[in-house]
Amino acid sequence: MTAVLDRAAPAPTPLRRDRRRWVWGLAAVGLVGWALVASGLFSGPVLNPAGSGQFGRFAAAALRPELDPGFLRVLADSALVTVAYAVLGAGLAVVGGALGALAVARTTWGRRRTGWLVARGVVAVPRGLHEAVWGLLLVNVLGLDPWVGVLAIAIPFAAVTATVFAGILDEVPRAAYTALLAAGAGRTTAALYGLLPLATGRLLSYAFYRLECAVRSAVVLGLIGAGGLGYQLALSFASLRWEQVWTTVYALAALCLLADLGGRTVRHRVAEPRPGAGRDRVLSGAVLAVVALTAWAGWYLALSPATLWSVRAREQLDYVLSAAWPPSTEGPLLREVLGAAVDTVLMSVLAIAFATAGAVALAGVAACPHRAGPARRAVGGVVRAVLLLLRAVPPPVWALVLLFVMLPGILPGALALGVYTLGVLGRLVGEAVEEADRRPRETLLAAGATSAGAWLYGTAPALVGPVLALAAYRWEVAVRDAVLVGLLGAGGIGVVLSAATSSFDWPAVTTVLTAIVALSLCIDLLADRARAALR
Amino acid sequence: MAVGERVAVVGASGAGKSTLLGVLDGTVPPTAGHVEVHGTDPAGLRGRALRRLRARTGTVRQHLDLPGPLRVVHNVNAGRLGSWSAARAAWSLLAPQGTAEVRAALDRVGLADRVHERTDRLSGGQRQRVAVARLLVQRPELVLADEPASALDPALADVVLELLGSLAVAGGGALVAALHDPALALRHCDRVVGLEHGRVVLDAPAASLGVTALEGFYGVSR
Repeated sequence: MTAVLDRAAPAPTPLRRDRRRWVWGLAAVGLVGWALVASGLFSGPVLNPAGSGQFGRFAAAALRPELDPGFLRVLADSALVTVAYAVLGAGLAVVGGALGALAVARTTWGRRRTGWLVARGVVAVPRGLHEAVWGLLLVNVLGLDPWVGVLAIAIPFAAVTATVFAGILDEVPRAAYTALLAAGAGRTTAALYGLLPLATGRLLSYAFYRLECAVRSAVVLGLIGAGGLGYQLALSFASLRWEQVWTTVYALAALCLLADLGGRTVRHRVAEPRPGAGRDRVLSGAVLAVVALTAWAGWYLALSPATLWSVRAREQLDYVLSAAWPPSTEGPLLREVLGAAVDTVLMSVLAIAFATAGAVALAGVAACPHRAGPARRAVGGVVRAVLLLLRAVPPPVWALVLLFVMLPGILPGALALGVYTLGVLGRLVGEAVEEADRRPRETLLAAGATSAGAWLYGTAPALVGPVLALAAYRWEVAVRDAVLVGLLGAGGIGVVLSAATSSFDWPAVTTVLTAIVALSLCIDLLADRARAALR
Repeated sequence: MAVGERVAVVGASGAGKSTLLGVLDGTVPPTAGHVEVHGTDPAGLRGRALRRLRARTGTVRQHLDLPGPLRVVHNVNAGRLGSWSAARAAWSLLAPQGTAEVRAALDRVGLADRVHERTDRLSGGQRQRVAVARLLVQRPELVLADEPASALDPALADVVLELLGSLAVAGGGALVAALHDPALALRHCDRVVGLEHGRVVLDAPAASLGVTALEGFYGVSR
C-alpha cells in the first residue's frame, strides 16, 4: 500500500483543449457575428415605428378571437381539409418510404458501395426541397388540383422516410438474420423473419411522427394556396381581420397539440409495451383509425387518380421539363443566387442562435421538476403553452407579423424563424432537462453547494453536448424553412425562386433549385460533422 | 459518535445502509424520529445556515454521481462549492481555480496525471478515486462513504480507506462507511454497526469481532 503512495508522481498532462471543439466553437461564434453584422442591426434602423399601431391592434385581438358561428363552420371545414392533406400525404410517404428504404438500405446493397451511394444521392434531391417548393412546382404541372397538396407532402416526406427506415433496418441487431441465412433461408425470407419483427416498433413510431409533421406541412401548403387552415390564415391576414387570424391560430395550435399528443401516446406505447399477451388495443386502434382516415381523406378531397395520367398533365410536364433544361448559367443570375444563398444561411444562423439562447434560458422553467409546488407548476404550464403557440404558427406567418414593426431585410425573417424554432427547441431542451440525471446535483447540494453552483457543476455539464446537438439538427431544418420564408417574401433564396416561377423562367428555376439542393446537402454535412465533434 | 471514530456499517443488500447515510447527509428526509449532525438537527435549518452545516459533511456515493463530460479538475473542485460563490464557481469552469490543491489531492489518490482528462474517459476505479479527491479538497468533518472501495483492487482499497479515515480524524470528525468486505471493515474501522431490515442488530468495537463473525452476518444475503 505504501508502494502506491511512494511511487513518483508522473508529470501531469498539460491542459489539452479538444481542438476540434474549439474550431467548431470559434466558427460558430464567427458565423453568428457575421450574421449579426449582415442583418444591419448595427448599421441603420431596423424598426418600423409606423407599424406599431397596426401591431397593437393585432396583439389586442389575441384576447377576443372571432367566434361567429359562420366563420367557425368555415374554419372547421378548413381544418378537415388540412387533416385530409396531412393524412394522405403522410400515408403515401410511408408507403413510398418503405419501398424506398429497400433501395437505400445497406443491407440491400451489401458490399456494393457505389450502388448504395448512388441510391442515397437520388433520395437526397427530393429531400433537399421544402414541401412548399414542391407545391409551387406541382401547381405548374397539375394545375389547381388537390393532388398538388398531397404530393407536395408525400414526395419529400417519402425521401426522408426512406432514409430513416433504411437506417432503422440497418441498425437492427443482425444475429437472428444471419442465423436464418446460415440455416439456408433466402435473403428476403430471412429479412421478413429476422429483421422486420425487431424493427416494427421503431418503424411504427417514426410513421406516426411523420404524420405529426405532415399536419404542420399541410398548414404551410395552405399558405401558398393549397386550401385548408393555412389558406384561411392567409386570407384573414390579407384582409387585416385580426380576430379571425387569432381564431385560426388557436385552431392551428389545438390541431398541432392533438397531433402531438396522439403521436406521443403511440410512440410511448411502442417504447414500453403493456405486459400481458395479445395486441395493444390502443396501437391497433390507432393504426386502423389512420387507415380509415386515409380512405376518408381520398373521398373528402375528391382525388381522382386519372388526373395524374391525364393527357394535359403529361403535356404540361413534358413542356416544363424541356423548357427547364439546360439550366440558366447567366452571370447576373448566378451572382444573385449566390448572394441570396448566403443571406439564407445567415438568416438560419441568426434564427438558431436566437432559438438556442431562448431555449436554454426557458428550459429550467419549462421542465417540470419532481417536487414542485403549485406555483412552480403553473409557471411551467404557462411557459409550455406559450412554446406550443410559438411552434403552432408557421414561420412565414411570424414573418408577416414581424414586418408590422420591422423594416424588410433578413432580420425579420431570421426572427420569425427563430421564434418558431424556439417553440420546437424549447420543448426538446426542456425534455432533455427533465430526463437528466438529478443525482450529481443532489450530491453537491448535500455538500453545501448553492443551487446555482450545483446546477453548474452537477446538471449543466451533461446537457451541453445534447443541447448543441439538438441545435445543429434544428439548423438543418431552419435552412429549409428559411427558403420557405423567402418564398413568401422575407428575403433569401426563396425570393429568387418565387420570382423565377412566377415569370415562368424555367431555366432559372432549375438553377435555383440546384442551388437549394446543393445548399441543403452542404448544411446537412456540416451539421452532421458538428454533431460528431460534440459527442 | 465520538470525535475521531471510524464506523463501518455492514449488512446485506437492501438492509438500509445507503438510506442511513442519506439521512445523515440530508438527502433522505427521515420518515420518523430525527438526527443530529454536528450537534444540530438539519431539519430545523434553512438557506445559508443549512448550507454551512452541509459543507461540513462530505459524501462519497455508491453511484459516484460525477458528471462525465466535466474534466477531472472541475469534478474535484466541486467539493469546494459549499464555500464558493456562484460567480466564482462559474469562472472556475473557464479558468480552473486552486489547481495546486486539486493536484495535491489527486496526487494522494494516485491520479496526478489525469487533472485535465474528461471524467468519462476514466475507469470505474479511477472515478472512485476522483470522488475521494473531491472530499480531500472539501475537508469535511464528517465523512460518509457508501461502498468507497467497491471498484478498487485490494491495495488501492486500503489506500482509499486509509485516506478517508485520516481525513476524518485530522478534521476532528468521524468516518461512517458502508462496506461490503468484512476484512476491510475490521482493518480500517474502530466500530462496526450491523443493519438488518433497517434495524441495528450489531454494535461492537471492531477489536472484539473476527472476520468469521462478520461473514456470518453477510451470510443472510447469500
